[in-house]
Amino acid sequence: MVSIFITFFLALCGNVYAASVHASKTLVLYDERLDQLDSFSNFLDDLKSREYEIDYYTANSTADIELYEGENRLYDNLIVLPVKGKHINKLISDKTLLQFYNDGGDILSVTSPGAVPDSIRLFLNQLGIFPSPKGYELVDNVQGSLKIGSSEYRGSRIYEAKDGDSISLSSSSAALLDNREQIFPILAAPRTSYTGATSKDPWSVGSQGFLAAAFQNLKNARVAWLGSVDFLKNEFYGSNGNFVQEVAKWVFQEKNVIKSVSASHFHADGTSYEEVPYKIKDTVIYEVGFSEWNGEKWVPFITDDIQFELKMLDPYYRLTLKPGRQEGEVQYYTTGEFNLPDHHGVFTFETDYKRDGFSFAVQRDVKPIRNLAHSEYARSWDISNAVIYLSSIFSVIFAWIIFIIFFITASPAVSKSVNTSKKNN
Amino acid sequence: MVTTGKSTIAESAKTPVLTGKSSLVRWVQTVLTFTIFLAIFGAAVSSRLFSVIRFESIIHEFDPWFNFRATKYLVTHSFLEFLNWFDDRTWYPLGRVTGGTLYPGLMTTSGAVWHLLKRIGLPVDIRNVCVMFAPAFSGITALATYHFTKEIKDSGAGLLAAAFMAIVPGYISRSVAGSYDNEAIAITLLMVTFMFWIKAQKTGSILHATLTALFYFYMVSAWGGYVFITNLIPLHIFILILMGRYNAKLYSAYTTWYAIGTLASMQIPFVGFLPIRSNDHMAALGVFGLLQLVAFGHFVKTKVSSDKFRVVMIVSLALILVVGVAALFALTYFGFIAPWTGRFYSLWDTNYAKIHIPIIASVSEHQPVAWPAFFFDTHFLIWLFPAGVFLLFLDLKDEHVFVIVYSVLCSYFAGVMIRLMLTLTPVICVAAAVALSKIFDVYLDFSHTMKNKKVNVSNLVSRLLVSSTFIFYLVLFVFHCTWVNKMAYSSPSVVLPSTTYDGRTVLIDDFREAYYWLRLNTEEDAKIASWWDYGYQIGGMADRTTLVDNNTWNNTHIALVGKAMASPEEKSYEILKQLDADYVLVIFGGLLGFSGDDVNKFLWMVRISEGIWPDEINERNYFSATGEYRVDSSASQTMKECLMYKMSYQGYPELFGGQGIDKVRGQTILPSDVLPLDYFEEVFTSENWLVRLYQLKKEDSEGRSLKDAGDYERSTTKSNKKKNFKKPDLDLRV
Repeated sequence: MVSIFITFFLALCGNVYAASVHASKTLVLYDERLDQLDSFSNFLDDLKSREYEIDYYTANSTADIELYEGENRLYDNLIVLPVKGKHINKLISDKTLLQFYNDGGDILSVTSPGAVPDSIRLFLNQLGIFPSPKGYELVDNVQGSLKIGSSEYRGSRIYEAKDGDSISLSSSSAALLDNREQIFPILAAPRTSYTGATSKDPWSVGSQGFLAAAFQNLKNARVAWLGSVDFLKNEFYGSNGNFVQEVAKWVFQEKNVIKSVSASHFHADGTSYEEVPYKIKDTVIYEVGFSEWNGEKWVPFITDDIQFELKMLDPYYRLTLKPGRQEGEVQYYTTGEFNLPDHHGVFTFETDYKRDGFSFAVQRDVKPIRNLAHSEYARSWDISNAVIYLSSIFSVIFAWIIFIIFFITASPAVSKSVNTSKKNN
Repeated sequence: MVTTGKSTIAESAKTPVLTGKSSLVRWVQTVLTFTIFLAIFGAAVSSRLFSVIRFESIIHEFDPWFNFRATKYLVTHSFLEFLNWFDDRTWYPLGRVTGGTLYPGLMTTSGAVWHLLKRIGLPVDIRNVCVMFAPAFSGITALATYHFTKEIKDSGAGLLAAAFMAIVPGYISRSVAGSYDNEAIAITLLMVTFMFWIKAQKTGSILHATLTALFYFYMVSAWGGYVFITNLIPLHIFILILMGRYNAKLYSAYTTWYAIGTLASMQIPFVGFLPIRSNDHMAALGVFGLLQLVAFGHFVKTKVSSDKFRVVMIVSLALILVVGVAALFALTYFGFIAPWTGRFYSLWDTNYAKIHIPIIASVSEHQPVAWPAFFFDTHFLIWLFPAGVFLLFLDLKDEHVFVIVYSVLCSYFAGVMIRLMLTLTPVICVAAAVALSKIFDVYLDFSHTMKNKKVNVSNLVSRLLVSSTFIFYLVLFVFHCTWVNKMAYSSPSVVLPSTTYDGRTVLIDDFREAYYWLRLNTEEDAKIASWWDYGYQIGGMADRTTLVDNNTWNNTHIALVGKAMASPEEKSYEILKQLDADYVLVIFGGLLGFSGDDVNKFLWMVRISEGIWPDEINERNYFSATGEYRVDSSASQTMKECLMYKMSYQGYPELFGGQGIDKVRGQTILPSDVLPLDYFEEVFTSENWLVRLYQLKKEDSEGRSLKDAGDYERSTTKSNKKKNFKKPDLDLRV
């Protein structure tokens, strides 16, 4: 039911131009010695049609290209097309790029076999993406030409390949990727290919090489790297255009942007922690809302793999959340009622939702769970085992009272005998 | 009339004999006694005020900060909330069931005082109540000591003992103004309990025995050292029985005390079922049983002939002994009785803790005492003490046996563990007062000389000589006490006194500077990792959450922090991140020459964590190749890489322009010795570098290790270029 609604919703939005979740001031760096801007016009027009505000700089110009004005980031997005030579610009070093990225700027980086500037390469290396250096080129001697079929698509969340989709490139470099979980490969090199340069060992072999890869840092800023400028070119735009636009949408935060909101937990009867702090074995409910950016506005995010953890050094609970109510743009997920552990301490209520291709959503709340107070244990008369102790206590008390009564009532006889003995003495 | 007690009868019997002038004498006596007590009280309080006058009205040291914090909690919450207090700001993330793991006597007393003062229209800040608590109670201790000694000898000895008790440094060391610790009230309660006990066993009065039990309960609520009473009183009874001095008075006094005292003590949550489950309390139970048997034996003795009785006694004694010992072993073996605690073992074998429980051995007050400390703490009382005990031996009444047992036991304990000096001090005062008053009884008694018209000159001179010598000692004692109190025991240790080159005294206030920095500059729920010594102070002064503190209840958690300090930073970072720590606090005395800093305590951190992770931490690795504990360039690589070293010396050589001189260890630190810190960044260093604070860096958002990120930041573009042309050495991507 919900999914039907969502498909309908998405279909409706399909006609409206999509846009990024943040502002779209974009800087395009290119090298007019290699390519003219005209050769990317299809790609750029598509961006413009989605209200991207684009500045262009050619890399070998003497103009100072500023990414920052003082502390402020000037651009939201950065597209770096292949640049000949070692530097893009003297003001844009690898460290600047990293800083820009860390500040939340999204970067689409395109290199080609003949143009891998050091600053881009070093920046990508920090992310665990190692593009083949200048001079290396992807070769596929079995197929002959570079035509990448649908079996090489990775990361279906970024671009979902349909049967018969293929990418054609005239030349490409390939990158090695490390096993960092923040890297999402998009397109692998064909199994029969390798990246080589004359009289050098191959850089990558088979599907260990990648033609396109994406990266998302913990602050949800995104980077995509494409191994060939042909992805963007007008001449291949027929076969590659759809793919490239999807990558661009992903990297500039138009899609797969989710957020978690209003995580809360409370007693099963609805009272909050602030009113009644938790104690061990209380029944509580945890819930958290998720929204997704559909290119125009926030809509409920539907999934079935959100997990909740209750941790104190180690997880005491790991529950898969069930979809609950939907309120406006937020889909709530709930644990349902569950009992807090029989262990006091300071616990972390956490949902850590990190999935390939989606923005990372982490919600964390630290709350103490106290021990039972002196009056909250079961009373002795409620415990069936205690009957034996209780009855023995009361029988001793009773016996003692009886003894006292007898002792007192019997004492005159004793004192008499004492008196008589005294008199006898 | 008859039931009101024996003392009343004795007095009323005396009065008719001393007619006329006796009432005047009694008036004078009363006024004198009152004046003397007032003076003693004044001396007791005023000699404890040095710390307030020389420094300020501040809570001292470490443990008092927790007591102060707990007291504040008590006066701002209800008593029941206090009792059920779950403290989520210490021992993060375990938390501490504070209400159930503390001795509430101190806090409740000062809370009551605070409420009382408020009720009578004197709203006093709770801090001032806490600061002045110990001096006020020392006056009461003196009073209790007076009555105790009066029971042992006479009121003359009592006054002397009270005066000694008021100003003796051994007691003042734990009861100066601001030293708001359990001992501040516990010694008072100890003396009151003993005083009532002596009266109870003398008279067999159930009232006195009940009072003993009630004050015993109060003592249990105030200090873990109550176990001392729990064992001393049964030991007293046991020895009296062995001496063949059993009588009905002992029976009624002991059984009343034991029954009421044990039941009452079990009401303290922290004690709970210990009195019937822990070995420390079994002696009292055993003597209780023994006393029943002895009483029964006495009863049988009156009924049967002595020959038969002897057989009965021998058989039954052997039987009881065998059954009792077997039962004790069996119950301990099956776990019904808790085995002896580590602290108890370390009382008998001073090396036990060092080998098995480093955390106990690491506490400075658990170290054996240095012999000069006895003289330092008690001055001339220490050599009067054996003389007093000897004099008591000559008399050897039942109550004297108590003092003798007390003094023998405590002398041993004080020799083993320096903090038990405190429990020895009262008996030193009592025994010395007995000896001194005996001397004065003999040598200051001129009545004989006065009566004889003929003056015996040599007799008079010798009397005067001996008495004046001892009076001289007394004067000297006062000077010594004043000096020791002023110089040694009045420092709050939160503020350190220091002397500049030109002789002026300056106060080093780095601790508070750092704690207030934390209070003002960090998130309210920030977690501070530090060695446990500073836990209470951080909680009390900075009001921030700590991982471990001076309530060393969880050895593993402490070892975890020790491991973080002793590991290379990437490992430490992992541990501290797992513990959610935000800041790390280290104490560094190298610049100031403050020897109690973390680098000197570091080996204990290593030892404690080695106890839990012997294959990761090894003490030997922290010594130099020649087996020395070095911090300069000959320090071992493990030492230089560990977090404690890096944090202590970060930026230190640069302060001197290249060669940092560590004044505590007298070694030179070179810039090349101090490796860069990638996972932590310095956020605060106090004026004299005593306290250094580091913040854990955020995880690298690109997923690199912080070391790689740091290396990258430090690298220049040129060096990167060459290196990265090589094919990276990566695992297969799957």
